[in-house]
Formats: sequence, structure tokens, C-alpha cells
Amino acid sequence: MKAIYKRELKAYFTSFLGYLFIAFFLLFVGVFQYLYNLRGEYANFALAINGTATFFLLLVPMLTMRILAEEKRQRTDQLIFTSPVSVERIVLGKYLALVTVFAIAMAIVCVYPVILHNYGATNYAVAYTTLLAFFLLGCTYMAIGMFISSLTESQVFAAVVTFIAILFTLMIDMLVEMLPTGNTLALAILIAIALVIAVITYVMMKSKVVTGIFTVLSVGGLIVAYAVNKQWFDGSLAKVFGWLSVQSRFALFRYGIVDISSYVYFISMSFLFVFLTIQAIKKRRWEA
Amino acid sequence: MIKVEHLVKQYGDFRAVDDLSFTVEKGEILGFLGPNGAGKSTTMNMITGYNSATEGDVSINGFNVYDEPEKAKRCIGYLPEIPPVYPDMRVKEYLSFCTELKEVPKKERKAEVERVMELLHVKHMQNKLIKHLSKGYRQRVGLAQALIGNPEVLILDEPTVGLDPMQITWMRELIRSLGREHTIILSSHILFEVNAVCDRVLIINHGKKVIIDTPENIIRTLGGTNGVRIVVRAGEDAVKNALSGIGNISRIETLTEDVGENLTAYAVYSSDGSEIRDRIASACAKKGISLFELNAIQKTLEDVFIEMTGKEGDTK
Repeated sequence: MKAIYKRELKAYFTSFLGYLFIAFFLLFVGVFQYLYNLRGEYANFALAINGTATFFLLLVPMLTMRILAEEKRQRTDQLIFTSPVSVERIVLGKYLALVTVFAIAMAIVCVYPVILHNYGATNYAVAYTTLLAFFLLGCTYMAIGMFISSLTESQVFAAVVTFIAILFTLMIDMLVEMLPTGNTLALAILIAIALVIAVITYVMMKSKVVTGIFTVLSVGGLIVAYAVNKQWFDGSLAKVFGWLSVQSRFALFRYGIVDISSYVYFISMSFLFVFLTIQAIKKRRWEA
Repeated sequence: MIKVEHLVKQYGDFRAVDDLSFTVEKGEILGFLGPNGAGKSTTMNMITGYNSATEGDVSINGFNVYDEPEKAKRCIGYLPEIPPVYPDMRVKEYLSFCTELKEVPKKERKAEVERVMELLHVKHMQNKLIKHLSKGYRQRVGLAQALIGNPEVLILDEPTVGLDPMQITWMRELIRSLGREHTIILSSHILFEVNAVCDRVLIINHGKKVIIDTPENIIRTLGGTNGVRIVVRAGEDAVKNALSGIGNISRIETLTEDVGENLTAYAVYSSDGSEIRDRIASACAKKGISLFELNAIQKTLEDVFIEMTGKEGDTK
């Protein structure tokens, strides 16, 4: 794991990518901080950070697009996956390298509240809990980006899909507002989603049994629940999609509220996508 | 030691490797032959644990590749078809990374990098970026990587591809010397190479084992023809006339090869494979035909290979 981690980190700083990421990140944070904190004279550091979050769209693919796709394209995956290092440790090594590059950028940003303190009262507790949430948000996006990179051998494809995925998490709050609230329609849409997942399961696992059990349980469960109590489905779509909204988890920090559940959410999402990356690689070994 | 048992790789409806079993003993070099798409690389990827097998087992020095992957992989050095090198790394830097990846003890890493660089003659290139190396040098760096940690088993997928003739000869010598202490599987489509380097040959076609034996035995058992090549000073009619007394001759062909002034080479085939050389000699003597050469026509490994793998018009 250490070998992979060291090589990966070194690769970011022998090419321009690592520097480019840090430079752009600091540029975005700097611009928003200037607008909100210096010109706008708000003492709330979360506002500046929140503005930067949108630019993860561009920043995350920059780091994650090559992380696994490039190994596959240049066939170096044949070296690392036949070495005595397990897939889990390889993926973890790579993920830690991504997080480290991001942490370096964040370490610089961590000085800003101290600088701001010279010009007025800064609430350090609020500033640093917000920065921690922002760091974890970034880590979640990195995990998503790494997962997408593991699915392809084209960096461009990985970058575009990661861009779209992050865009989706940003827009989901807007979309949720447009969703119908009627319970019958909600049932229909949820069944449709269950069927789509069933099809994906079948394509990925080629198992009629697993797909069958999943379809019966999910669709059956939804219909039974609907039959028992229609009210359960009121606004259910908004709830389901709202749960996917990574960005909204960050919202409370703007009001100076330390939302522990968001920390837990970001960490679990990161774990989930690291886990999915490992699974995707293991599955490919069965197919390729 | 490598033990492959009933290995199967299925892609949807297509069986890339079909019930393949063989063993390679320590100190043996096995040549792996087959036309393109026969399943050579797929098999090698399964042996090294890069891909999973649909069915069957592979064990390396007694460790099952799928049950104890870390232990098995520690015994393997693998050079895939395309050398797995990072273009943006320098040769020495890359090999140091490999020593770490392969868990060579920290104290020995430096010496190990030096050892493989010297063995593969890439020391003078150690500070070059791999992307600036020629194909032959990349191949050498790839092999250097496989030798790191001195693994007992070496799996080499077409190791001489991209090398110039001088390097090929040198590489063959190297592989042969490595064969004394290592267990080697070497795939190739250059039959001469396999013949020159390998102790045994495994020929596969459409994922199935066709034959496994020493090159000599393969030629002995499968290389026999009913043909005899003679060089005489006589025209075709005279030869036919002279040999007409031997009952079991099926046909006589005039060969186009240039064997000397006024001399012609003929191929004489017996109908049942019985020995006809002595009878040809005496028949020629009787008719006063001067016989300059007389020898049985032997198939080369190449002929056997083409015959065994090309039956279905699969010449791809």
C-alpha cells in the first residue's frame, strides 16, 4: 500500500496536475473569500467555502480521472494486480494519495481564518468545523471520481462522467423542488427506479436468481407499503433524492451549526465508493 | 513448480481457454505455442492471478493462486505482452518502485535494483524517462521488473518481441541461463526460438491443449513423413522408370531446389510408410543412375505446428 501511495503522490507532483489542482483550488477559495469576507465584510467563513464547493465540478475530475483509468490504458495494472499487494490495499493507497493532495491544499486554506482574525473577530470553532466538513465533502467527491475512473480506460470519459455525477449532486436540490408530491405517482416512479436497478444488477451480475429476488422484494415491498398506508409515499421522492444530495449536507454549516450527521454522511459515502471501486476491479477480473 | 488443472475461461458463449491442464517442474522452461487468439495470454493472465478462471485451479509452489493470492504472487515474476512500465518514470525510479511493490526487504532494495539493471544491461539508461526508451529497452526494463525479488517462477509473454536480432540472441541466452534456477513459461510464435530455448513445448489451439512434449519427441512422433529426398544425375522419366520396380511408391515429385550442375532433386513417397531408402539405392545402382544424396524428409516443428493449428483454415 505504501509503495502505491508514494508512487501516486509523486506522480501528481512530477506532472503539473497536483500543482494545477492546488493552484486552481486556492484561486477559487481566494476569489470567494475576497468577495464574501473581504469586500462583503461577512465574518462567516462558510460562505466563501460554500461558493468554492461548486468548483469541485472541475477540480475533482482533474485529480481523479487518471487514477485507475490510466493504469488500465498503459497496462501497468498488470504489474500492480499481479504483485503481492491486495486490491483493497492498492485502492486504499490510491485514495489516500488523492486525499493527501487535497489535504495539502486544505492546509493552506486553514491559515485563512487566522489571517481574517487580524481584521475582526473570527469564530475559530465555526471556521474549522466548516473546513472539516468541506474537506470531507471533497473526500466524498474524490471517492466518487475514483470509482468512475475504475470503470473505464479513458481519462476523458472518466472526467466527463465525474463532471456529470457531481453536477447531478449539485442540481439535485433544484430537481427535488420540481418533483411531484402525489403518492400514486411517487409509487410509480419508485417502482420504475427499482426496475432500472434490477436491470443494472442483471447486466452486471448476469444472475437471474439475484435479479429475481431483488425485483420481487423491492417492487413487492413498495406495493405492500402503498397498500398499507398511502401517506407514507407523500413527498417520498423528495426524501429519496434529497438523501442523494451531497451538497445540501453542507448547508447547515453556513448558519454556524455543527451538523455531526453530515460528517457521518460524508465519511460513509467515501467508504461506500472506495468499497465500490474495489468491487468494480474485482468484478473486472472475472470478466476480462 | 507450476500446476495448472482443468483451467477454463469463458466469455459469454466463447470459451477462450478450454480444460487446460499441465505442470512445469522447477528448472524447466516450457514453451507456449499457439496462433494469435489461441488463449496464450489469457492463460498467462490466469496463472499470474491477474484474471480469474471460470473453472479450474492454478497452484504455484503449492500455493493456490485464488485461495492464497499473496503467497502465490510472491513466487511469480510476470512480463506481460506489453511491458507494464510507467512512461513518466525513470528506469531506476521505476525499478525501485517495483522492489517496494514486491516487498523486497528495505535493506536489499538498492542492491536488487542494481542487480537487475546489470543483468538486463539497462544501467546506462537508469536516469532516462521510460517514455524516451526504444521498444527493445522497454522490453528489457519490463523483464528487469519481472526478475525483481528473484521469484522462482517466471511467466514471460513473448519476451523477444520488439528486439533487434542481436538482442534476441542475447535475450535467449539470458532466458536459458535463468532456466537453470527458475521455472519458466515462455510464450512465443517464433518456433525457432521455442525450439532453441525450451525443454518442453505446449501447443494450444482454440483454447485447447493440442500436445505437450519435448520438441524432439514432437518431431519424432508427428514429424515423420513417408517421403525420401534423393539427388541424382538423371531426368524425371529415367528416375520414374528406375523406381517403377519398387511396388509401394505412391508418387514422385521433382523438387525445384538448385542442387548443382546437371543434378536434380526428387521427392519419392511410399504409399504405406515402409522403409524404401535401401530399395531406392539399389534400384538406382541397377539402372546406372548416379545417386548423390538420399535422406528421409523430416517435418520441422513449424510444419507440425501449422498442421496441428491450421486445420480449420484459421490462419489469423
